[in-house]
Amino acid sequence: MTITVERGVTGKKTQAGPPRRPRDSYALFLLPGVLAFLAVIVVPFLMNTGVSFTDWQGVGSPGWTGLANYRELMDDSEFWASFRHSLFMVVAMAALPTAVGLVLAAALFDYVGKHFGSKTVAVLRACFYLPQVLPIAVAGIVWSWILAPTDGSLNELLKAIGLSSWQQDWLGDPDIALYSVMGVMVWVQIGFPLVVFMAGLQRVDPLLHEAAELDGAGWWSRFWHITLPQIRPEIYVVLTWCTIAALKVFGAVYVLTKGGPGGATNVPSYFSFTTFFEKTQVGYGAAISTVLTVIILALSLIGLKLQTRAEEGDGS
Amino acid sequence: MLTARRRVVAMAVALTGSLLLASCSDSDSGSSEDGKTLKLWHYEAPNSAMGQAWNEAIKEFKAKHPGVKVEFEAKGFEQIQKTAPMVLNSSDAPDVMEYNKGNATAGLLSKQGLLTDLSAEATKRGWDKKLTPSVRTTSMYDAQGVMGSGKWYGVPNYAEYTMVFYNKDLFAKYKIAEPKTFDELTAAMDTFVQNKVTPLANSGAEYPAQQYLYQLALSKADRAWVDSYELYKGKTDFHDTAWTYAADTFADWVKKGYIGKTSNSAKAEDAGVSFIQGKSPILFSGSWWYGRFVDEAKFDWGTFLWPDSNLTLGSGGNLWVVPKGAKNKKLAYDFIDITMSKKIQNLLGNKGGVPVAADVSAISDPKSKALIDNFNALSQRDGLAFYPDWPVPGYYDVLVSETQKLIAGSGKPDGYLDALQEAYDKGAPKQ
Repeated sequence: MTITVERGVTGKKTQAGPPRRPRDSYALFLLPGVLAFLAVIVVPFLMNTGVSFTDWQGVGSPGWTGLANYRELMDDSEFWASFRHSLFMVVAMAALPTAVGLVLAAALFDYVGKHFGSKTVAVLRACFYLPQVLPIAVAGIVWSWILAPTDGSLNELLKAIGLSSWQQDWLGDPDIALYSVMGVMVWVQIGFPLVVFMAGLQRVDPLLHEAAELDGAGWWSRFWHITLPQIRPEIYVVLTWCTIAALKVFGAVYVLTKGGPGGATNVPSYFSFTTFFEKTQVGYGAAISTVLTVIILALSLIGLKLQTRAEEGDGS
Repeated sequence: MLTARRRVVAMAVALTGSLLLASCSDSDSGSSEDGKTLKLWHYEAPNSAMGQAWNEAIKEFKAKHPGVKVEFEAKGFEQIQKTAPMVLNSSDAPDVMEYNKGNATAGLLSKQGLLTDLSAEATKRGWDKKLTPSVRTTSMYDAQGVMGSGKWYGVPNYAEYTMVFYNKDLFAKYKIAEPKTFDELTAAMDTFVQNKVTPLANSGAEYPAQQYLYQLALSKADRAWVDSYELYKGKTDFHDTAWTYAADTFADWVKKGYIGKTSNSAKAEDAGVSFIQGKSPILFSGSWWYGRFVDEAKFDWGTFLWPDSNLTLGSGGNLWVVPKGAKNKKLAYDFIDITMSKKIQNLLGNKGGVPVAADVSAISDPKSKALIDNFNALSQRDGLAFYPDWPVPGYYDVLVSETQKLIAGSGKPDGYLDALQEAYDKGAPKQ
């Protein structure tokens, strides 16, 4: 598509329509947002970074220690273990919900919607989205009851259906606890990609599907070759958003396991929290959160870059 | 004249500057006493012995100080524990506050200069005479924040200690007599295991598990050992006889089924409920459960001190502290004084607490009397050995985490002791 610019005989742009406001006046509208961003994001981040170069205990005078906290961090096995657990959380909160959300969204859109009507789809969509609405503290407490080793609903259910040998201490066994927390997080997260993908599917031209169907393409073929490429921007948004959420996950770990048993579910944000408030090593805690912020920022930029590239690819 | 763009930039710079200044400035503005309001925080449940006694103390305070408004805020233990340094360093500090005792808590705050030195008041009002030396230990902190000597930074109005709670009905059902020795205790646990009953109520995710372990170590320890560990009066070696015995025995108890592996994710509340529901016949824990068991246990139960041990976990209770930035310190001292009065102390005793300055003859309830008599016996033989998480800030989490590994079997006693040593050496004051 080409854009035609009207020009006068002198070659200068002609003034069409109402006179434009000076650019400066728009800056006023940006001011509240910029100030809020400075006050809530930039200033605390800079202060946190400053504190990370000290041995501050939260009160009193901080002593400058340079890069000592960062050097200690590099050798801290607990810190690296917490990051390894974060990768598991990325699988649970980004990869799995995105994959499952895609299939569910396509199934609801293509099958349930056509055979049972839009109301049924709306109800099911709301049900899947419900865990996103629940406060994580409430959801966490309910899940801790479900996963309780004695009298927990899950173990009772397994017993009732004759699978007693499958009973576990879901949150108390170090070999299982991380997977249990991951399971809960899949349940929590799945509604978000589902809703975004269903919105994305609304804008896919139905003629593409109809044409493919006439050509004999099955559901899976249409999903793979039409649906997926068409909603690629939504997939990038969801993956970026959920990866960030996974890296900074805190509430679920706090409520379900407090990083235990034996550190098996510790994640960087919880590790930073205990370093701040339990050990009162505020300087070290600040170093952890600074590193975490930088990693999240880098991943966000990569995600945005990929998204932009995908959109440009679509537009070409 | 400024252009619109420059005006915007100037405003942004001015506002950002103000925000930076505001965030960096010392928020403790401080002000002189007005004597009109007492701001009080504590975290005792209203139906607990302490909660009831403090409510009565507030009434008494109001009667003695007409015209003074008491602004009481009920806080959570965790809430105060996690935010105390920040709150006390701000202008929002209360006049008097309940706070946890020990080096890593009240000691740390006193070292940071956040608490008022109460030494003169303690002498003037006679609090120093009312508290026995072992209870007084947690009131005093030196310049390094180590308890036991130095200035008064807190006043405990009650005490606490651990004991074995046992279900007499279940013991009778399996024909087990009350254990008088440690061997009899283990024999009793064997009998329960043979009858497919897990004998010990436990919680791996919170304090009960580490208290079993510390008690096992204490049974092989003496006062010098405790002073070395808690007061840094010597080198603490976690591979010594006492700690090694504790870790080995605890791991052995898990193997033998005295401690259920499924208790690893349980909270302290779960352990208490398991005892109340009659599922586990034995719970080793603190006097803070006493009043609740009186109310809720539907079976006959009793208590005894850990057999064959001179020492047990215990200390003066949580402290009343007066923040450095408190606005009405005189009123705060008056309130503390009321909580130390015979009237309030006797009420505390009769409600199932362990008072520190009560008239024992005024305690009418027989169960409460037994509780206090046991405490007095312990106190007189210098048997209070504090708690295992006190020496180092953040040590509670280390103990929870490492003990969970022992329960799960993923950690071995030797590794457990190594981990405790590493965290202790890292956090304890350098000698």
